Amino acid sequence: MIYDHILVRYGEITLKTRNRKMFINALRQNMKRALSDFDVELNAHWDRAYITLGDEAPDAVMDALENVNGILSVSPVAKLERSEAAMKDTAVHFADGFDEGDTFKIEVKRADKSYHLKTFDIQQMLGGHVLDNVPKLDVDVKHPDHQIMVEVRIDGIYMYHEVRPCIGGLPIGTGGRALLMLSGGIDSPVAGLEVMKKGVEIEAVHFHSPPYTSPQATEKVKQLIDIMSKRTGADIKLHIVPFTELQTKIYDWIPDNMSMTTTRRIMLIIAERLAEQLDAKAIVNGENLGQVASQTLASMHAINAVTNFPVLRPLLTLEKNEIVAMARKYGTYETSVLPYEDCCTIFKPKSPKTKPVVEKVEKFESKVDFEPMIEKALAGIECYSVNDAEENEAFKSLL
Amino acid sequence: MIYMDNAATTRPYEDVLDTYMNVNRSYYFNTASIHQAGREAAKLLEASRRQVLDLMGLGNHECIFTSGATESNNIAIQSVLRHKKPFGRTMLISELEHPSVINVAEAMKDEGFNVRYIRTLPDGTVDMRHFAELLDDDVVFVTVMAVNNIVGSIQPIEEICEALRQYPRVHFHVDATQAVGKIRMDYSEVDSISISAHKFHGVKGIGALMVKEVKTLSAITYGGGHEGNIRSGTVNLPGAAAMARALRISDEELDGSYTRVTAYNRRVRAALDGLHAIQVQPSGVPHIMNISFTGAKGEVVVNALGSHDIFVSTTSACASKLKKLNETLLAMGNAQPVIEGSIRISFSSQTEDMEVERLITALHAVHNEIGDVLK
Repeated sequence: MIYDHILVRYGEITLKTRNRKMFINALRQNMKRALSDFDVELNAHWDRAYITLGDEAPDAVMDALENVNGILSVSPVAKLERSEAAMKDTAVHFADGFDEGDTFKIEVKRADKSYHLKTFDIQQMLGGHVLDNVPKLDVDVKHPDHQIMVEVRIDGIYMYHEVRPCIGGLPIGTGGRALLMLSGGIDSPVAGLEVMKKGVEIEAVHFHSPPYTSPQATEKVKQLIDIMSKRTGADIKLHIVPFTELQTKIYDWIPDNMSMTTTRRIMLIIAERLAEQLDAKAIVNGENLGQVASQTLASMHAINAVTNFPVLRPLLTLEKNEIVAMARKYGTYETSVLPYEDCCTIFKPKSPKTKPVVEKVEKFESKVDFEPMIEKALAGIECYSVNDAEENEAFKSLL
Repeated sequence: MIYMDNAATTRPYEDVLDTYMNVNRSYYFNTASIHQAGREAAKLLEASRRQVLDLMGLGNHECIFTSGATESNNIAIQSVLRHKKPFGRTMLISELEHPSVINVAEAMKDEGFNVRYIRTLPDGTVDMRHFAELLDDDVVFVTVMAVNNIVGSIQPIEEICEALRQYPRVHFHVDATQAVGKIRMDYSEVDSISISAHKFHGVKGIGALMVKEVKTLSAITYGGGHEGNIRSGTVNLPGAAAMARALRISDEELDGSYTRVTAYNRRVRAALDGLHAIQVQPSGVPHIMNISFTGAKGEVVVNALGSHDIFVSTTSACASKLKKLNETLLAMGNAQPVIEGSIRISFSSQTEDMEVERLITALHAVHNEIGDVLK
């Protein structure tokens, strides 16, 4: 194929001025990671980035960039010698691929003002040449179906027409760090990916209660981490908290209809302390207003009372079917619906309170000293990240 | 050169040196840095830590990297004793301990602690009956090494753990420096364990303190809060990775080398059997042999062997410059001439047959040479 470059357009980075460099650096790093399997050269400039393809296929490289946060769109670009014949051939080559009856427009940027043809001359020349050679097309300069872009630069002429939209947003890592409470259900991975769109780096916390919860449930959460990491190019760390002791204590001491509230409160306490350790500035969860008993306003009020941390709920007001659609789009749905028990389902009370009262919950909780168990749970955290397997392989030769 | 002073230090494995160099080259980052490179280094550190704990059979312990066993012993003894002060003020310690344990214990007397020594049996192990007598409600700390560095006696660590089950308040510390790579022992019930990499073919300047409850520890030197705020100072990642590797190789080689070294020990014993004025201490691990040329000075024997290009030491390298009688040999009930005339020969997994043969020839020659002074 004639393409030898990929043009990368920035998303919201272009709104930044004084600190843009920081955003571009972060994006460069993330693109590098996403392109680690390819032998390409990456140049990230102030307003766009170019990838020199070498022998790599443009489609595969664009696929790898599609979900990198901070990229608005990508285009495969052909670099030509600065001749009229080369431009004409390329324009016809592009146009041949358009559908019958489509309209097009020639758009020209003369970065090199010394080029002997003016903008209008080039438009007229190429437009006429395409119309003569590809009779199925018409010109429409206001609302064309296709734009054939021509950029005249000192080192050559760059032409492209295809624009592939990407995920947009801001590069991950530029928005600080947050801790995602990841249960393994449909909602929480989506919540995490939504927050990541805004450049926030995510670490995740998962509570497991062996032997009540199965190793498969934990494996499933690890798979979700793998999917999320792969999709975003980020190395998401998962912190697995042993919750059995607390879970059984709650089961023994807190009245059935309030146990769910206490469980969530203690999980939030642990999440807050972990977030502090990780220097995370917020906790993210997949709560959706009114979805289940623990997600009513009254429940959120009672549960949230244990922390001063901002708790971000990006899915708060969405419809369930919207969340499912997002999960399908992000590729997490199939894994999320695997039928393994998590600690939310095993110890589920028959009729949990939908309107818990903080004072009442606190009264029951005060009868048990949860603190040492919370400390123990924190001390027993195990870590996982998608790179674990690969890196241990890399470390193997050293250790 | 025939090097037979492996209880003092060992030659690093070539693979270990490769790791040390490669990590210095590719992972020279600070493990506390939050950037990508720092995080990679931190991952290697954690993988090293995991490997050390797993190979030690201490999956449920935590591991703090230190500069070596001396620092590990200092941290364990000083900080745990201070932590335990409200519960009692007595520590029990075997007479056999290394100076990095004994001298710390003695220094802790200034902070109001009582130090009681557990007596030693003639075979160089702690007297368990005396230990039981010393145990009371004021005891908060017990420290007994796994393998003695002077004679190689193996201490009854599991038995002590068993006795201490009735004293849950007691912290049991084991200096396992001389045991690693020589003998497998079960430390799973021990509260804290010290090791030093250079004793098992790692590099110098790295060791570890493994601990069951990290809460019982605190910093004894202050700084940036590395290693869980227990041991500040930029972590020696190349050393730690190299130690993990040294431990793995030692572990893989252990069974084979134990059999081989046992044969060396027997051969030397048999060759010296019946010689006038020679006394060989009972061996625990076969790697360490303590031989007395009664009537001579150990130093003379060491120098005489040196002229045969064989390097051994008097007692231990750490104590051999001190002009007093060796505590271990004294505690075992040896007479003064036996102690003064003693040398320590220590083999490693790398010691070869030919070297042992040359050692035996040299020992006979030296015995002849200095025969006049022997009694």
